[in-house]
Amino acid sequence: MAYRVGVDIGGTFTDLILVRDATGDFTVAKALTTPDDPARAVAAALEDALSRAGVAADEVAQIIHGTTLVTNAIIERKGARTALLTTAGFRDALEIGKEARFELYDIELELPEPLVPRYLRFDVPQRTLADGSTAQELDVEFVERLARELAAAGVDAVAISFLHSYANPEPEHRARDAVLRVAPEARVSISSEVVPEIREYERTSTTVANVYVQRRTERYLADMQARLSGLGFEGALRMMLSGGGIATPETAARFPIRLLESGPAGGALAAAHYGRAAGIRDLLSFDLGGTTAKFAVIAGGEPLLAAEFEVDRRYRFKKGSGLPIKTQVIEMIEIGAGGGSIARVDSLGLLRVGPDSSGADPGPAAYGQGGTEPTVTDADLVLGYLDPGFFLGGAMPLDVDAAQQAIEAKVARPLGLSLEEAAWGIHQAVNEGMAGASRVHVIERGQDPRALPVFAFGGAGPVHGYRVARALGSPGLLAPQGAGVLSTVGFLAAPPAFDFVRTWSTPLEGLDSARAERLLREMEAEGAGLLGEPVTHRREVDMRYVGQGHEIRVPVPDGESWGGGLRAAFESEYSRLYNRLGPAGVPLEITAWRVRSSGPRPELSLNVRGGAGEARKGTRQAWMPEAGGMTEVPVYDRYRLAPGHRFEGPAIIEERESTLVVGPDAHCVMDEQWNLVARW
Amino acid sequence: MNVLTLEVLWNRLLSVVNEQQVTLMRTAFSTVVRESQDLACGVFDSRGYMVAQSLTGTPGHINAMATGVRHFLKAIPPATLAPGDVLITNDPWLTAGQINDMTVLTPVFFEDRVIGYFASCCHSPDVGGRVYGAAATEVYEEGIRIPIMHLFRKGEPNADLLALIRANVRVPEETIGDLYAQAASNDVGARDLARFLEEFGLHEIDDLGDAIIERSERAMRDAIAALPDGAYRAENWADGFDDQPVHIVVTVTIAGDEVTMDFAGSSEQMANGLNVVLNYTHAYASFAMKAAVNPEVPHNDGAFRPVHVTAPEGSIFNCREPAAVAARHLMGHMIPATVYAALVQAMPGRLMAGGSDALWLTVWRGTWPGSNRLFTFSNFQSGGAGARADKDGLQTNGYPSGVAGVPAEVVETWAPLVMHRKALVTDSGGAGRARGGLSQEAEISYRGDGRWGVSTLIERTRFPGNGLAGGRPGSLGRFQLASGEKPPPKRLVPLPRDARVQLVLPGGGGYGDPRERAPDKVLQDVVNGYVSLEAAEREYGVRVRYIGGPERLVRLPEHYVIEPDG
Repeated sequence: MAYRVGVDIGGTFTDLILVRDATGDFTVAKALTTPDDPARAVAAALEDALSRAGVAADEVAQIIHGTTLVTNAIIERKGARTALLTTAGFRDALEIGKEARFELYDIELELPEPLVPRYLRFDVPQRTLADGSTAQELDVEFVERLARELAAAGVDAVAISFLHSYANPEPEHRARDAVLRVAPEARVSISSEVVPEIREYERTSTTVANVYVQRRTERYLADMQARLSGLGFEGALRMMLSGGGIATPETAARFPIRLLESGPAGGALAAAHYGRAAGIRDLLSFDLGGTTAKFAVIAGGEPLLAAEFEVDRRYRFKKGSGLPIKTQVIEMIEIGAGGGSIARVDSLGLLRVGPDSSGADPGPAAYGQGGTEPTVTDADLVLGYLDPGFFLGGAMPLDVDAAQQAIEAKVARPLGLSLEEAAWGIHQAVNEGMAGASRVHVIERGQDPRALPVFAFGGAGPVHGYRVARALGSPGLLAPQGAGVLSTVGFLAAPPAFDFVRTWSTPLEGLDSARAERLLREMEAEGAGLLGEPVTHRREVDMRYVGQGHEIRVPVPDGESWGGGLRAAFESEYSRLYNRLGPAGVPLEITAWRVRSSGPRPELSLNVRGGAGEARKGTRQAWMPEAGGMTEVPVYDRYRLAPGHRFEGPAIIEERESTLVVGPDAHCVMDEQWNLVARW
Repeated sequence: MNVLTLEVLWNRLLSVVNEQQVTLMRTAFSTVVRESQDLACGVFDSRGYMVAQSLTGTPGHINAMATGVRHFLKAIPPATLAPGDVLITNDPWLTAGQINDMTVLTPVFFEDRVIGYFASCCHSPDVGGRVYGAAATEVYEEGIRIPIMHLFRKGEPNADLLALIRANVRVPEETIGDLYAQAASNDVGARDLARFLEEFGLHEIDDLGDAIIERSERAMRDAIAALPDGAYRAENWADGFDDQPVHIVVTVTIAGDEVTMDFAGSSEQMANGLNVVLNYTHAYASFAMKAAVNPEVPHNDGAFRPVHVTAPEGSIFNCREPAAVAARHLMGHMIPATVYAALVQAMPGRLMAGGSDALWLTVWRGTWPGSNRLFTFSNFQSGGAGARADKDGLQTNGYPSGVAGVPAEVVETWAPLVMHRKALVTDSGGAGRARGGLSQEAEISYRGDGRWGVSTLIERTRFPGNGLAGGRPGSLGRFQLASGEKPPPKRLVPLPRDARVQLVLPGGGGYGDPRERAPDKVLQDVVNGYVSLEAAEREYGVRVRYIGGPERLVRLPEHYVIEPDG
């Protein structure tokens, strides 16, 4: 039982890594995702890896698994036919939403359809007030009658979201019991369990999404268990959670919403892992693929967390255009930029790149599949950053002429630029767009982008990482090896962890510390129970000035009398974020209490081999503005570089899944973890 | 400036302003700012030209702020400013047209001189005076008026001013807390701008401003030139005050690459607080024009240059001092729909029907249970938006304001109120090939034992939002008590302790002939209760029959059929 497996089911590929913990020896495998039966691809990839490594399935102690399938089920509206029960008078909260326009000037604005149509949303006689007291008892008979009809109609997923249920969950419990009494097969999610927080729209939206994908997730986890057992796997299957923790399939099936971003979470966890190994505890994870760029801040060796995100953003990746989901997630900003992003000249005569994408079909003009719109990949090719004969290791030859023609016609001529200048403009515009969005994100988190090295991965990440890092003012760039299966490495590097939250609003002044201590210990005991020994706990509170709407997360000071240190902890965090404190004399309050319990972090050190032979393959013409344009740039074979190998920019370093490009002022070295590290 | 350099600099500057706004929303105290985003942020160059604005916010604030900054610079010359200075005003004629809007401006010092400004404009939770409403007859009744002055001097708060504000407003923590938040967000903007200048070795942003402003102007001119020349007129009515409705008349004249929107023919200035300063008229008219012809153009000085807005002095859209102006947004929000009704003649098959237009703001006032402590709570709600040629209007979505609503749970936590219902209103969307957006209704009561009352800043209870191209108007709004009593709107009215206040918002107008709407869409609307069986037949000529049992709670699509002869 010496092996562990990480597996990530993405939209296109299922990636898998098999690692022998004692030696770090590893085998990777890839299979096309099988959306109708996702476990099939997992089994295929696992069998492939096992047979190549000569390992038997029963030697695998643990399989950790993350996926984007849950997210896709929501985006593609492939969840269950779901009903929603709300406090009478509020069934439309889900559709009324925020009532806001996320884009002022767009007359043609659209919002996502709610997951539950109006004819399946029901007002239930019941009312709880803001203080948790009962103004009207739940009409249990009504709920039973409704549940009976729903069951008869084949609606077997039910979300229950009553007003102020975070203050008094009892009516939701009773309603759930009533539904299950008459429809024992139904799946029921109640908002006080899924997300016990104020604001009915966000809470309801989250609860609905949870039950919407629940049965699908259950089925899929059961299939997975069965398939893996069929292969002879006897170890533990564990699910990666969006917040970076790990859970049993049973917990995951109850709260599938916590799996939503688990695939991308792996990338951020891998960034944190490689960073720690390299002694860099603060960095910016940058994942660039064909359509989407994702950034995550790693601080103190851990990804930052957020309590809310949006799924199914309809509109240029804009905040406010998706369905809000409140759950602990690794905080990421997604930008509609990637290799397939289309460049155009706007009415101001400025270049715009994305968020429209050429997708996989026809893809960039260079793919030679009939695409005529110039894309980022086309620009990268014209600039000499990509080798037309070595894209995906040579598996996909690129058409330089087609790329040139597209850029010439749609960008160079309209702007009166040379072909290369136009390509450089596209390259730079997409870099600046990504840097701009991530800068706001980073600063919003109270971090300084100029202090964070960029960790670049994904197919196009290393091509753009250097310029993005320069635009952000970053001190350096890390490009890991094996960017193609990075998420799976992240899964294996994550310690088992659980997050707990209790909403108890209390002024800081006269805080009942005995009660607070009890509350925190309760959560810690729960965490210890789930994780066993050894376990560590991190205590945090959400605090704000009384009257403010947004809380900031403040670490609870160590020691017995932590209550006294909370004000100082809050003020230090607040001024770090906003440069000044609130008005003098305004009291502080605590709105939520949080504990993250973690088990020990698994040791993970991959035993990479390579580094034989002459690494420098030759040179090719590539665009370096510092050199005034096209210039001869050395090209390296990444698989022939070994730790300690140093060279100077400009340079192009090729591997199968991607190409790293660095400018003339970069000092590059391959570190002990086989990362290429560039500084300047 | 080289286009590729401009590209980079422009992107950076936008990121700086968005940073400013994010900070403002996160540090604000009042629900108005933090839940409803009733605010705007912008960066200005050394001459006071608005170069960039943040992503969200209200058009009224943004555009009025653009003109407002020049007044600041006139009153307090840049040469007299020192680092750490922060300026403030809420003068309606200088900024956003009402005394509740606080504009806070911070100069950016770089290399020992002022190279630009960050400003934000926020709807303050309270500025004293009467409880927010339209009942005043002079601006003096509407609250404390702060001429352009220092909020901070060299980093130190202007204690005299703050003491004065504190003594004059009902919720000093919130009002002053928001001013601090505005100053803090300007600081964040200034800090980032300084970094930006250092990185690019720049000394100011005037060149960048010129380049962007010039391109914006050119793009706007091109878009206007693409429309057929001519004078296009439309009119519209609003409830106004008491039995005095407001007539809104606009003539949109397109001549080459310039456009003039003239409001001559509209009602005279009124005795009560619905009057609009020209600044604000300009803000909404130019907003509408840009959204109509080229939404891509950044909103800055250049986008305004080919767009002219005129209204006779002394009219409702260009009021003279000391007119009461507190509820001016109710009239300002009518402007885009009226402009579109005129402009659609030059742009057939495009634009958007009228809708609820005005944002509904209700200000609740009373005592907390078991105490004499007063509460004041502002609740925002939106009715239905107008339909577009090929898209139904958005349900309960504010146009043009963009201001977010307040969750019922937040209302009930921050005020001793109980919301009994907040639901979509069947048949409120005007019929059309594309249907108008549905509105919402709410019912609110008081759980205290003292006094309470409400001031309803509402519109379209007498004149509906217009349809376009054969689409029907949206439904009318309504403000009444459950008892049937109809208290007067737009002023603070005391309420019986056990009253239930009903607010039914206006719906959006339809676009195109309703008989052209696909019967399947009508059927779907019936299934979802957006349209009643009766209205489906009456308005759309589609006879839908419900064939499920009458006692059923769960009524599925298969329980409805379209009658073949329908």
